[in-house]
Amino acid sequence: MPDDIRSLTAALARDPKSLVYADLAEALRRRGQRQEALQVVLQGLTRHPMHADGHDCLARVYADLGDLERARLAWSKALEIAPDHMGSLRGVAFLLFRQGDLAAAESALQKVLARAPWDEGARRALAGVRAGRGAEGGAAGAPGAAPRAVPETAAPSPAGQRPEVFHGFDGASADILLLDQRGLVLAGGLTDAQGKDASELAAAALAGVSGEAARTAEYLGLESWSAIVAEAEHSNLVVAPVGEGALLLVRRDRSMAVGLALRFAERARGIALAWLKGQGA
Amino acid sequence: MSEPLQRALDRISRVRGVRGSMWVAAEDGIPVAQLLMEGVKGKAVAALAASLARKVSGAAAATGAGRVRFVQMEAAGGTLLVAPAAQDLLIVALADSRVNVGLARLEMIRAAEAALA
Repeated sequence: MPDDIRSLTAALARDPKSLVYADLAEALRRRGQRQEALQVVLQGLTRHPMHADGHDCLARVYADLGDLERARLAWSKALEIAPDHMGSLRGVAFLLFRQGDLAAAESALQKVLARAPWDEGARRALAGVRAGRGAEGGAAGAPGAAPRAVPETAAPSPAGQRPEVFHGFDGASADILLLDQRGLVLAGGLTDAQGKDASELAAAALAGVSGEAARTAEYLGLESWSAIVAEAEHSNLVVAPVGEGALLLVRRDRSMAVGLALRFAERARGIALAWLKGQGA
Repeated sequence: MSEPLQRALDRISRVRGVRGSMWVAAEDGIPVAQLLMEGVKGKAVAALAASLARKVSGAAAATGAGRVRFVQMEAAGGTLLVAPAAQDLLIVALADSRVNVGLARLEMIRAAEAALA
């Protein structure tokens, strides 16, 4: 069993009421274990019927299984719960593309970019849809005639396609991750022990940390939180808020002193902040 | 409360800036033993620290970092420190911004390891 699935399974076993079920289901889905993913996410949603990420994950599993009608229903439910849910907005664009409704797919992608102008995947998909529409004289075409760009937006973004915000930093695309408060990757990247991209899984898990930290700091009268340092078995993590609504994760080897890791993270945070400002975010 | 647990709280609470320390049940966030300055809301600290530790542990698992040994949340008005210990317990300290984090961390990890023994 791969490490990420083993650790997420253990985390869910320790706390069956936690939201980690969605991370586990997504990890299983990415590894092609669709039936197992379906079972995990359906079980999780019985406990958390108003969890938008769970419905988004369910929709992805159904889409992978070719059940587009159930995928549509699940994404609709996610958007009913959280109208700005980016994964679901992308999913809807993907479905519209698959149905050959390129005009509606274009409109859906525009909605995604209005909320996340830095989303390079959505930008490329939009360009592809527009090119497809242009080739057909502006009319919506058959599914097979359209470019393949939109489905890509519903899949994980390869690390190489993300903005190289941390260029020059040690671990720029393997140990430094910038995400938004909904758990969507903005820049950088994180790889697992096998060197495979684990950014989206990590981002989804980290979004929960941000909310919990804000709640804890507020309730205990600690004012705004500035960093969380987690010393763990294999590596140390530094998580820090960046501007309004973004979050930075830096992973450092345990051999690096915690104080040094914090300084490193502070430098990366400055770069991320400047980049976000440059994006108008 | 057993004497070793109480002694650990005494040592941690002596560190400059620490406003309170406590043993907390990791599963449900309920205080098991505590030594707090006046005005510190023990039940809230316990519940929030346990919840934060769970979230951080989940994120650490997702990043492949493995089992979490120590968590430090820094904020403008203070610091929350959490160290998982044996028997599903957490040792938690709430401190103001003057705290010597290094010393508090050492005492907490020592207490967590002693609880393992």
